[in-house]
Amino acid sequence: MSEKKQQVSRRQFLNYTLTGVGGFMAAGMLAPMVRFAIDPVLQTHARGEYKAVAEVDEITTEPQRFDWTIDQVDAWYESEVTKSAWVYKDEKDDIIALSPVCKHLGCVVSWEGSGDYPNEFFCPCHNGRYYKDGVNVPNTPPSAPLDVYEHRIEDGTLYLGNAKPRGEA
Amino acid sequence: MKWNKIDITRYLGAQEYIDTLLIPLVPIALEDSEQMNQVVSQHDLIQAFSNEVEKDFTGRIFLLPTYTYLFTTDREQELPRLNEWINQSQHRPFKHIFLFTFDHHWKKHESKLKGNLLWFPAIQSGDLHSNETQKVIKDQVKHVKELVRSYW
Ligand code: FES
Repeated sequence: MSEKKQQVSRRQFLNYTLTGVGGFMAAGMLAPMVRFAIDPVLQTHARGEYKAVAEVDEITTEPQRFDWTIDQVDAWYESEVTKSAWVYKDEKDDIIALSPVCKHLGCVVSWEGSGDYPNEFFCPCHNGRYYKDGVNVPNTPPSAPLDVYEHRIEDGTLYLGNAKPRGEA
Repeated sequence: MKWNKIDITRYLGAQEYIDTLLIPLVPIALEDSEQMNQVVSQHDLIQAFSNEVEKDFTGRIFLLPTYTYLFTTDREQELPRLNEWINQSQHRPFKHIFLFTFDHHWKKHESKLKGNLLWFPAIQSGDLHSNETQKVIKDQVKHVKELVRSYW
């Protein structure tokens, strides 16, 4: 009786072991496949990431242009895109990073881009103008303030995230 | 604005502001390997140039798809077809038409063209993505942008 019981459990033992090894092997094969399948989903989150753009001590009260690149992924292409910001410190010593994209039709604005309008951002396309804080000058084509980048400072480095319409950033 | 669905929609809603048309001109060659190499570089460069200029002035410039023609065809023969593109554009409120090219053969026919020919001498470019080449291109593009602005 006791011997019979032993045989069964030996067979069971073998059975369990083989299933175990097989299962382990299958898992080893499947794991990378699952990762391939899920990876692109995970990567889309990377878009909202912050990028190191400048050292805080480079930033003055005068707006300066900083450029950096991000990898942009859309449905068909992955491409390197250059982004820019006008960055300065305001009277309260807070860092302001403005998007250079004109809110009229999307041209690139420059700080003091026109000799006629000192202390303003100027859009060369249709003479759009913005005050230093990014607010559009009334009676020029743009009807909204420049977008503001979300920012973060870590160890003396300025990181910028997404540009958001003013008031949301 | 570029030749795509999103930009066309924006363009049609704001036509009066986009008064400048940009047409890149690039020859095609399939026979001679040397020529093929040469026209491919022209294509790469003109693409980079046009995109950079369009990017900064997207609210005022409309960039058409590249106008292509056979390298071996006499430019004289191409003139009517190219001018017809420009004629068609006159149905829209464009005031300035720029033809960007690295192909010096157009220079001779400049006076018969219905747009402003901006011919650039070819840049010696091995790798378009190398930092050095990019610096040269950025520098040239800066001048081109100033030139375009001077017409406005
Ligand atoms: S695009 Fe800036 S004023 Fe029109």
